[in-house]
Amino acid sequence: MATATAAAPVKPRPPWLDAAVGQGLALLGAFLFAGIVGAIIIMLYGERPLFVYRVIWEFSTARASDFAKVLELATPLIFSGLAVAVAFKAGMFNIGVEGQYIVGMATATVAATFFELPAVIHLPLVVLFAMAGSMVWAGVPAVLKVKTGAHEVVTTIMMNGIAVSLVAWALLNPLRTTETGLVDLRSDRFPDSARMPFLAPTFGLEEQIPRSVNLTWLFPVALLACFAVWFLLYRTRLGYEVRAVGSSPGSAEAGGISTGAVQIKIFLISGALAGFVGLNHVLADAGFLGVNYERELGFTGIAVAFLGRNHPVGVPLAAIMLGLLFRGEDGIAIATDLPREIVIILEGLLILSVVVAYELVRRWLVRRQQRTVRAEEGADSAAA
Amino acid sequence: MPLLDVGAVVALGFQYFTIIYLTAIGGLFSERSGIVNIGLEGLMVVGTVMGAWGSINWGPVAGLLIGAAAGMLFSLVHAVATVTFRVDHIVSGVVINVVALGLARFLSQLFFGSASQSDSGIPHFDKIDIPLLESIPFGLGRAFQNLSPITVVAFLLAIPVLFVLSRSRFGLRLRSAGENPEATRTLGVRVAPLRYAGVAISGTLAGFAGAFLAIEVNELYQEGQTQGLGFIALASLILGNWSPLRVMLGAMLFGLATGIPLRVDIPGIPEQFVRMIPYIVTIVAIAGFVGRVQPPAAAGKAYEGAGGT
Repeated sequence: MATATAAAPVKPRPPWLDAAVGQGLALLGAFLFAGIVGAIIIMLYGERPLFVYRVIWEFSTARASDFAKVLELATPLIFSGLAVAVAFKAGMFNIGVEGQYIVGMATATVAATFFELPAVIHLPLVVLFAMAGSMVWAGVPAVLKVKTGAHEVVTTIMMNGIAVSLVAWALLNPLRTTETGLVDLRSDRFPDSARMPFLAPTFGLEEQIPRSVNLTWLFPVALLACFAVWFLLYRTRLGYEVRAVGSSPGSAEAGGISTGAVQIKIFLISGALAGFVGLNHVLADAGFLGVNYERELGFTGIAVAFLGRNHPVGVPLAAIMLGLLFRGEDGIAIATDLPREIVIILEGLLILSVVVAYELVRRWLVRRQQRTVRAEEGADSAAA
Repeated sequence: MPLLDVGAVVALGFQYFTIIYLTAIGGLFSERSGIVNIGLEGLMVVGTVMGAWGSINWGPVAGLLIGAAAGMLFSLVHAVATVTFRVDHIVSGVVINVVALGLARFLSQLFFGSASQSDSGIPHFDKIDIPLLESIPFGLGRAFQNLSPITVVAFLLAIPVLFVLSRSRFGLRLRSAGENPEATRTLGVRVAPLRYAGVAISGTLAGFAGAFLAIEVNELYQEGQTQGLGFIALASLILGNWSPLRVMLGAMLFGLATGIPLRVDIPGIPEQFVRMIPYIVTIVAIAGFVGRVQPPAAAGKAYEGAGGT
């Protein structure tokens, strides 16, 4: 057999190496493509692309406080990216993270303003309320999908619309503060026991990172959530079933997996993760629920999930990457004549090229695998 | 003043019907060719901003045409991704929607000096009255006056669409590409150009519908003004079982459901709950009908044979 493999057209290489090289090349290609098209647009504006890219980089990494700001921006994106990614692993599209975290913010506000408790109980309770609210909002489309076959892309979008109106009503009625003389509509201020503690004081970094940067303990929690999702997907029975349903629902069902039950479970987990998305805003930045509760973090989460390959390691990296871009917006507004919205165009170019590049690599890997298998079969029959 | 001004409500329903129907018909061509297009909302968004810009500079006719052209160009991204690179249709559609939001902000900043809206009162068509129909009783006659001419065009569009799809050679081939691409290919007809055409038609009509929304209905561009209408169009496609006339009925239902909350004031029910009506109607309709409809057999599946051509 060893002599026969010499004639095979493809040298045997471990498949994980192929996958790693392929994905690396895909990312590199996508970044290059997006960078070049972005550069053309920037040049049409009469600016120098390399200068603009350097401004983005320096504004987000020059000082500790800049990078802390990047991590602050990345925190909710990690959660929303994870929420989209876990559902995707089961072959489902949670386009409703937007509505789910909006409802979660409102239920968190209920827990924060209606109870008086010590912080050790109050803060976890607030988080649990947020998770529960978002899970209910994710549960409706999940159950409808399994029971009636209604596609979750349509139903989750509709749930987003309902969430916006529901929270608008809640903010005008039960959650509205009794304080008078306010210009803007908002809830009561949250007591300190329901506020998210900041990271900087814990590590003695108050000098480097000012109070205005809302980098809180939610960031390490987000990383922990990535680990938990990895463990769930790759080390538990449910995770195995989720991936089976995602890659081939027919075979999963034939293999004795209840597809519907798995889909509902993973969508509820997705909803629970979505519950965290709005928390950095209400529990740290604002300290109350205001009228600006639509923050479009759910839609950016879709971008994060696709950029991060729907993988619990890729998602935080993609979130930080987008954090860099969004922080760089301020730099662009200050240092160049470009509109700051150019960053959104760069983001869009990047997602488009990443999605296409990954698909090309996936097909290349499949073809390669097929050739290897054929070569091995040829070698086997030659040896026989 | 009665509780419900039926004529005014129906008139507003007609406007939303126009938007939903035009977009759904576009989606129909795309899906019958085999390409699922959930990017309709994003294509519509591009139509609103480009249409408003066109109308401000060169009048409503140009605005509608520019919106349609922009929708078509943007939809080609979806066609390239799904037909040529065989990216998952839903993934590509979601990306189209996300990218459209950013693109619209960028263009709005460029055109109107504000990322979220244009000045109001952009140029639009003169409204028309439909003769004879104003005498319909119960205030319903008012629904047929003061209409945008485009609404009438949308109604009449059903006839050519039905003809093209079910009687023309192009329509037959388009449908066969969506039902059985392998057989289409075997008969010597290339699948990829048909699917490109299907997606381009969906982009053109969604862009046109977006421009109609900005120019004729709201008379301004505003971020988020499409409020999920592209997805509602998708829902009426499902409800209408991918057949042009039934899609028209579905679009009418959703059009009225979208228009009613904007004109009805029900005492005791907060307006925020009334606003939920179109979304709830859509969910109920989808959940109630989806099991009984039959999407095109090959929709959503990449065609791998013969290099995808």
